[in-house]
Order: sequence, then C-alpha cells, then structure tokens
Amino acid sequence: MRSWFICITVGCCLAVHAAELKPVATVHLSCESPSQMVSPNGGQLAVRCKDHTLHLVDVANGHEQYVFSAAVGVSSYAYSRDGRWFAAGTKEGWVEIVPTSGSASPKRWRADDRRIDTVQFLADGDSLLVAGADKPGAVWDVREAPKLRASLHSDFAGLTACALSPDGKLLATADGDTVLRIYDTATWKIVREYRGIKLETFAVPFTGDGKYLLAGGADDHISVLEVSSGTEVRKLGGQAGYVGEILPLGDNRRAAVVYLDNNGLKPPRPMMWNLETLKAEPLTSERPLTGGGLVRGKLWVVSAAGSSLQAWEYE
Amino acid sequence: MPMNRRELLERCFAFGALTIATTSSLSAIASAWDDAEGKRQPTPWCELGPFYKRQAPHTSTLRAAGDPGMALSVAGTVYNVRGEILRDASVEVWQTDNAGHYDNEGYRYRAILQPDEKALYSFDSVMPGHYPDRVCQHVHYLVQAPGHKPLVTQLYFSTDPVFGGNPDKNYRRDPLITSHELVRPVMIKGEPQQVFAFVNFDIVLEKA
Repeated sequence: MRSWFICITVGCCLAVHAAELKPVATVHLSCESPSQMVSPNGGQLAVRCKDHTLHLVDVANGHEQYVFSAAVGVSSYAYSRDGRWFAAGTKEGWVEIVPTSGSASPKRWRADDRRIDTVQFLADGDSLLVAGADKPGAVWDVREAPKLRASLHSDFAGLTACALSPDGKLLATADGDTVLRIYDTATWKIVREYRGIKLETFAVPFTGDGKYLLAGGADDHISVLEVSSGTEVRKLGGQAGYVGEILPLGDNRRAAVVYLDNNGLKPPRPMMWNLETLKAEPLTSERPLTGGGLVRGKLWVVSAAGSSLQAWEYE
Repeated sequence: MPMNRRELLERCFAFGALTIATTSSLSAIASAWDDAEGKRQPTPWCELGPFYKRQAPHTSTLRAAGDPGMALSVAGTVYNVRGEILRDASVEVWQTDNAGHYDNEGYRYRAILQPDEKALYSFDSVMPGHYPDRVCQHVHYLVQAPGHKPLVTQLYFSTDPVFGGNPDKNYRRDPLITSHELVRPVMIKGEPQQVFAFVNFDIVLEKA
C-alpha cells in the first residue's frame, strides 16, 4: 500500500506556513533518514534509514526501542491505534509485531508467499490485516500465536488501500480491481460496495465523524462517498497528478492530500482540502518536510536533516 | 488420494518398476511426460501495477496512424494447464505509449481482447516506453476465463536494453519480473519500409 512515507522518499517537498505550525518535538537520530512515520499517539517515530534499517525511536528522549535490520527487508509497516504495537511486513512474506515499549515478546510468522504490501491493525489491537502483493488481504488474530480469522475479497487483484472507521466497526478497502468495499468487522461480510471508480484507489480514509469516505488514487479527483448509502455525494477535483495519501483531520472539515506525478518526475505536492468550501490550498513553507502522520486527529509534519529531526503540529 | 506425476514416478522408481537409463532427473522426466501429454505450466503472476483502468474498449488496434515508436504486434493462445484452449477467455492489456506515459484520462493503449475460435488473441500496438518508476518496457495483462483463476501478469521483451542481450541471466535487473518466462523473444517482421516487432505470448490459466 502506498503511503505518505513513500511520497516522502521520492522527494516530497512538503512544507507548511510557519505561522500554522506549533513545534512539538526535537529528536536526535542515529542515522540519515529519508522518511519517518509518527505513531498515532505521538509517542514514537518509525524512522526509515538510508541503509534500509528501520528504527522505532521515542519522541520524548530519542531512545531507540527497536531496530529492524536491513536483512529483514521491511516492505510495509504500521502502528496500532493506541501506539503500543508496531507491525512490519517483509519482502519475503513475513510479519513481525513488536511492542513499542516494555518487554513483551515479539511475534513473527510467515503470512504470505509474496512481499507484504499492507499491514494494518484493527481497532481492538488484537487483529491485524495483512495483504501480500496483489492479494486482497487476510485478517489475523494476533492475541496468541497468529491465527487466520477471515479472508477479504477482490475480483482479481490485491489491496491498494484500507482504513478503519473511527468506531472500528467498519473496514474500508480499495483493491486493484478498482472496487471499494466496506466490511463489517464483526462478521467480515461486505456491507457496501462501490464500483463507480475506474482507476485504482490509493487512499480511502473515513472522515473523523465516520460519515464519509474519501477515495483518491490514479483518477483525477477524490470521491467523497456517504458511508450509510455507499454513494458518491461529491468530488474534489481540479488538481494534477494522482493522489498518494489522504489524511482527514479530526475537525471533520479538512484533509491533507499528497498528490504525485504520474511519471515520478515531479516532487509530490501536498494540499489542504477544506471539505466544506471544497477548496484546496497548497501547503507551502521554507522547510522541506520528510514525514508526518495524524496524531489524535491533528496533522503532524516532520523534517529530518542529518541527525536532527523536528516535528510540528499543524493548527 | 490420487498420486501426482512426481509421486507416481518416485513410487515406480522405488519399486524398481521404472528403469532410468539416462542421467535425467525425475523432475525433467515428469516435465517431458507433461509435454508429451500437452500439459502446460501456468503463466507466472506478475503484479498489477497502479494504472489498471476498468471498462477498456473492445479493440485489437491500439496503435493509431502516426503514433511514434516501433510498431508492435503481439499474439498468443489461451490454454488451461491440461493444454486445452480456452475460447471464452477475456484478455485485457494496457501499456504506456512509446514515451512511457499511461493514458489515465482516456483509453489509449488499453484494450479488452476476445480470442477467436482457436483461442488466439492478438493486438497491434507500439513498443511501450521506459519510465522512471519502472526498469523495463512491459505490457500488463489481466486474463480471465470462466472456471479459472484470474491471471494478472506482464509481458517483457528480450530486446529491452536493460537485459544486455541475455534476459535469462539478467531478467532480475527489474525486481518486479517474477520469471524469465515472461521475457519473450522479439522477431522483426514485415517489409523493409514497414517493419514491426512480433511477439508470441501464450497464456495458461489454472482452474479456480
């Protein structure tokens, strides 16, 4: 699954009006890092290093809690919603879950015979969605030894994006077959299906109130879908390139969107959409940013240069 | 439970019912036996990529007059693993133009092909271009037939400079290529004034 962090690694020059940024952390890094992911509670950073290692670094004191070596070949990763667990998928189809602090034992198992493209914790933190390349994904119960709980559906291709509803009762998925599906996470039955998008979707988050889905990808617009009816209620268009990431803010009014160039020639372009006025403004400033994420519904942006990393909250 | 080809061979070998006078491995013999019976290995999977677009037109002519790039003609037959042809298959293809651009707004270089009564499909296009995110020139395939697993794969060209003239050895220079079988020989055909590249790419589907 594509992510904010992929856009950063290809040279995203994300930057924000200085007046709208509140500094939240300064962290010393042990490596040169092209991209970083912030945990949902703001307590930790997953720091991808140029030497292909992946470090879990505490925001408060820069302490490294865990390091995935380059030999592990991490291909996808995610924090649990409470920030207590971190899952990493590898190029060889393995999945590893580690605690972000404390001494609980890591879990490691072979979940697929292909590269793992997606790992995503479900709301309970006891379940993990795992998808191998071009596979629709499977839900694993990870409370004890990992156990397969449910398999998701696709007409012919694999998961390209997924997101949990704020209450955790629904899972939205987008697949290479261009179909959006919403699953009931209690039964794993499909409760809504939307086939109105012709190109692939790379981001499909719920809004903070759970009423809408924002679906963006290779198409020239973002579709706003009403969850209760499964229908498209509006489009956010007019931007060049395809959508690599959508981060809806907790105020239910705005969403940060990263647009990518179809041919990978131009740097990624971040915008802030106002979902009420349907207008978008570029996120611009003097300092190029290298990572970010949503922390308790607010956008955090990160800039790393050499061994120094700074994080700000977007207000 | 019925034994498969390899198990049967091994059982025969173990009980002395089969005398092997050559140095061939059991695997090679099993493969030769399969060939003799017309059986085929499934076409390897190769990932879908990000630019599939639904509802492509039904046409076998992807190339328009004056399009830049080497003319390309691709043909092949769709089989199942028993070597039987699959007339009711659908073959969907998409690729970049010669400059390495996908048409996401429209449907240039995208098509759904319906094989003929001999399960033969073909299309006319241009050699796809290279682009920054991918190492090799390629054509995407989605092949479906009732009762069979959908196949997502990609066709590559032995003439691609990336392979340095030796695709069997160098195909991994593109990390997405899963098998050297997907790199197909390219023949130059046609009159001197109108040469084109021809590639044969047979497809083999597995039962669902």
